[in-house]
Amino acid sequence: MSPLRFGVPTAAACAVVLAVAGGDATPAAAGDLSRGAAHYRLCAACHGDQGAGDPSRGAPAIAGLPPWYVEAQLKKFRAGQRGYTPGDDTGLQMRPMASALRTDEDVAGVAAYVASLPPTPHPATVTGDAARGQGLFAPCSACHGPDGRGNEALKGPQLAGQADWYLLAQLGKFKSGARGAHKDDATGAQMRAMASTLVDEQAMLDVVAYVRTLAPAGNAK
Amino acid sequence: MLEWLIPAASTSADEIDWLFTLIFWTVGFWFLVAQGILFGFIVKFRRRPGVRSQYIAGESKDEKRWISWPHYVVIACDVVLIAGAIAVWRDVKQVIPTPDETIRVIAQQWAWTFVHPGPDRRLDTPDDVVTVNELHVRNDTTYAFELSSLDVVHSFSIPVFRLKQDAVPGRVITGWFRPTKTGTFDIACAEMCGLGHALMPAVLHIESPEAHAAWLGDRTTVAAATSGSRS
Ligand SMILES: [Cu+2]
Repeated sequence: MSPLRFGVPTAAACAVVLAVAGGDATPAAAGDLSRGAAHYRLCAACHGDQGAGDPSRGAPAIAGLPPWYVEAQLKKFRAGQRGYTPGDDTGLQMRPMASALRTDEDVAGVAAYVASLPPTPHPATVTGDAARGQGLFAPCSACHGPDGRGNEALKGPQLAGQADWYLLAQLGKFKSGARGAHKDDATGAQMRAMASTLVDEQAMLDVVAYVRTLAPAGNAK
Repeated sequence: MLEWLIPAASTSADEIDWLFTLIFWTVGFWFLVAQGILFGFIVKFRRRPGVRSQYIAGESKDEKRWISWPHYVVIACDVVLIAGAIAVWRDVKQVIPTPDETIRVIAQQWAWTFVHPGPDRRLDTPDDVVTVNELHVRNDTTYAFELSSLDVVHSFSIPVFRLKQDAVPGRVITGWFRPTKTGTFDIACAEMCGLGHALMPAVLHIESPEAHAAWLGDRTTVAAATSGSRS
């Protein structure tokens, strides 16, 4: 057994053991930052120490995402409602990682920690017509807000500040059913319907180009 | 004998277990004989008052035969074991019988995708059934599998089949199995493939032909219902 073989998983396992043995039995309703930081070490392998993401691994930027959204997505991955579709390579990668978080408190902790990370700007990687995209964004703004800063009540996460390649990939997944097609994924179903209004690749590129012009709200709430 | 620890659910498993048993008893018998002689000599030639130890050069014939005779026996046993191993290797790995069905197994970080041939029992037709982390096979049916990897080296391991085959990026590796027992068993990745290596287990369902047909029926209905909404 080389150290490589068990290095990071063991560290993660130790973190789990320490978190459990630490006796912080009070459920972390708002998400325990220190517990989240310990678990985040596993996430950092792809999403980076600061949650800035890594396009070469298909890992999106997650720094500063609202905690309720991160928590909801992690729970979908754990429940097999996201990242279960054949061909969804990055989703299939994320599902086992999310399953490494054993309890709801772990999930809440990681969500709180991710939300506390400072968002970073992303270079443009796709080209589209932002002016045309503004028109196409109208239906999106109902849930994600006219400024793309999200709306927790409607379960619409902030889009402003997210890397364009990731937004494009997710629109593609919603359209193909690789994301949001699970029978228990209500918000995914909503998003699938909305994504289908973007009729072709160009429409997706345009709307993504428009979202790129929107300024993020800093650490979203 | 391995069945005490883990069920054997394929024809290859029976052969490999037979080989395992042969090796176990052959080696085990000589191990016990050798240990018996060793401890017997320790007792027999223990220190006694008035008896001096002797220096033995091991040059006379009646001394050397304590080495050479066991040596011949070991070689004879080796020949038996190697002959058995070659026969099993040939059956398990080298000769792929004509399959009733072929499945495709695609490994990736960190999931298994299985392409089942569907009711028509042929791959690359519209009724193929694709699943993630879930393999369904008919009992008493000969399967060939085409194993590939999308990213790094994985190893397709089904302990109840005694099957373990590396999946190598850029290659399609063919193997086979014939299930002999219905039930639900583990599939694991047996090659360190990254952070999620331990988190990529899959489930093998060996079903009676009726149960398998029922599962296929369910799947095709779902596929038919959702295929319209895919773009
Ligand atoms: Cu693997």
